[in-house]
Amino acid sequence: MLKVVVGIKWVPNTTSVNIDPNTGTLIREGIPSVVNPHDLEAVEMALRLKDEYGGKVTVITMSPPSAIAGLEHVLGMGADEAILVSDRAFAGADTLATSYVLAKVIDRLDYDLIIFGQETIDSSTAHIGAQVASWLDLPYVYYVTHAELRGGKLVVRRSLEDAHETYELDLPALISVAMHSLNPRRVRVSNKLRVKLENPIKTWSNEVLGLDPECIGLRGSPTALSKIEMVPKVPRKNEVFRGEAREAAKWLLEKLKEEGLLELG
Amino acid sequence: MKEVGYRFDVIVVGAGPAGSASAYTLAKKGFKVLLVERGRIPGSKNVFGGRVYADPLREVFDGFDDSAPIHRWVTKERISMVSGDAMTSFEFYMRKNTSFTTYLTELACWMAKKVEEVGGTVLTEITVDELVVENGKVTGIRVGDEKVSSEVVIDAEGINRLLLERAGLVPKLELRHAGLGVKEVIKLPKKEIEDLFSLKEGEGLAWLMMGDITGGLPGGAFLYTNKDSVSLGLVVMLGEAVKEVREHISRYVEALRLHPLLERYFRNGRIMEYSAHLVPEYTWPSLPHRLYADGLLVAGDAAGLLLNLGYNFRGVDYAAYSGYLAAKAVEKAHEMGGMTSENLSVYERLLEESFIVKQLRKFRNAPKMRENRRLYSTYPELLNSVMGQLFHSSYEVPKVMEAFKRARKGRVGWLDLISDLLEVVRSV
Repeated sequence: MLKVVVGIKWVPNTTSVNIDPNTGTLIREGIPSVVNPHDLEAVEMALRLKDEYGGKVTVITMSPPSAIAGLEHVLGMGADEAILVSDRAFAGADTLATSYVLAKVIDRLDYDLIIFGQETIDSSTAHIGAQVASWLDLPYVYYVTHAELRGGKLVVRRSLEDAHETYELDLPALISVAMHSLNPRRVRVSNKLRVKLENPIKTWSNEVLGLDPECIGLRGSPTALSKIEMVPKVPRKNEVFRGEAREAAKWLLEKLKEEGLLELG
Repeated sequence: MKEVGYRFDVIVVGAGPAGSASAYTLAKKGFKVLLVERGRIPGSKNVFGGRVYADPLREVFDGFDDSAPIHRWVTKERISMVSGDAMTSFEFYMRKNTSFTTYLTELACWMAKKVEEVGGTVLTEITVDELVVENGKVTGIRVGDEKVSSEVVIDAEGINRLLLERAGLVPKLELRHAGLGVKEVIKLPKKEIEDLFSLKEGEGLAWLMMGDITGGLPGGAFLYTNKDSVSLGLVVMLGEAVKEVREHISRYVEALRLHPLLERYFRNGRIMEYSAHLVPEYTWPSLPHRLYADGLLVAGDAAGLLLNLGYNFRGVDYAAYSGYLAAKAVEKAHEMGGMTSENLSVYERLLEESFIVKQLRKFRNAPKMRENRRLYSTYPELLNSVMGQLFHSSYEVPKVMEAFKRARKGRVGWLDLISDLLEVVRSV
């Protein structure tokens, strides 16, 4: 029996997001949101542990209520419970204020293991796992590609570029799953039906949590973004030569010579 | 196959206009309804040209005028015959709330929300693998290794009828029974759309184009104005077009956007979406499939219920209304004691009595007419030649009949011309 808490983020689908060239901010208008894909891998790892050892998977997210669609998705995959942590007071949080709230939420839950994704596709800081582990004073391993229980301890494999490391962790512990290491499962119709007909999603506002307003939201966020610089666009000439391969090759060589990119002896 | 722990009176497959209309009508009557959709949100797999007729939807959905996502009411109809860079247009303007433009995904989401409002259960991201058939009766759906049971299944899976094919209930779709719609949605400022097309706020344009503007493919091009975008695309008849398509079909839409007569509209535009979808092209009453069986009804595009007149398309409202009639059939079969094929056959009668089949019957010759290639090349050329002679003559202007005779010569014989004319008049 393993009680696992997974944190997920509801993010704009950045594969289709544009940056406003004037303000440098994401244009989020009309962009459909999704569960951060790397977080789905965290859910998958939790579900595999539950499949193997039994137990319970609770998913939490700090987000506006639109994230309910994301929680429905992970419940559809097989998570048991979901908590939407949502309050205007939490808005504008940087990673410090976010991890503080998440840690306080997790503190109220009965857990053996906490799992996060490696990072999010909309900000890629990879802060949250480490910060929550600090708040809760838990051992933390990231880039985890595999986890199993052995003699009451959690044995995890951490994959680096040139090595696999194996760690043995006392529980409770916190791990972050290496991205692209697991293939998240599809939703099951019975799970989705349970979501719709039994409504297992709870919402916790700051009325429930009672956190100090100085530590949450914009006021609890010391991060200041001073400037965003856009990578300058490389001017492309977009010349296309249509015709015989041999002619095209000649044309290309000529062009490359003109540009001084090729010296022919 | 495991039975899930929930049972339903009705399962509807596909949260498009047909599926949602069925589910809504039945849930409102107190039936326990499950609506399943494979897309991430309702309507995410739907594509249409751009216009929907409102009254059939008003009849089906309560509160349509208060909350449906209407972009613009179509007040301006323009039909153009194009040859080369010449275009003769016919335009009609009248302010009336008859049909509107929208995004179909928005409309489908709205419909699915209505289903939930009246107590129906809507599940997305659920791909049905198969209709479960036991002793000749459809008893539910299989999703992965799980089965959900119901008294009746309403199949509104769309034109690509994989479930009906797998169950051996319909033959494979033939090319001649399908058109291909391809379109781009191009974002433009709201005000600019109104300026470009001389529209007042909230007014919309439906513009259909025939001639070589489709790159020579048999079919037509369309442009619809949405709130802050336009939908530009073409519908080609697959049976004919498949022999002639030489490039990827997306190139044809691109050529349309860059056409000398059209590119001026999109200079400040940004392409938001590219999509393509099959369109049913059946001739009533010779549908190659039945629309009901024990425990099963078929509605919408899956049933082949769409009217294409060449100058007008009726798809979304027909689909929704057929879904509504399927729901009525389930109600009646329920009163008669069960979802047998015999009891459900009332669906066919309801369809026969409805505007859908009356219209499909009335216009049954339209698909054949649209196979006539002269409609796409000869006549637009002829018309533009006449107009050219009448208006691009600085000194001597010919009489209309003179111009017509000159234009006709070498293009089309009298016999063909008269028989084509008769065919068009009789068909539409």
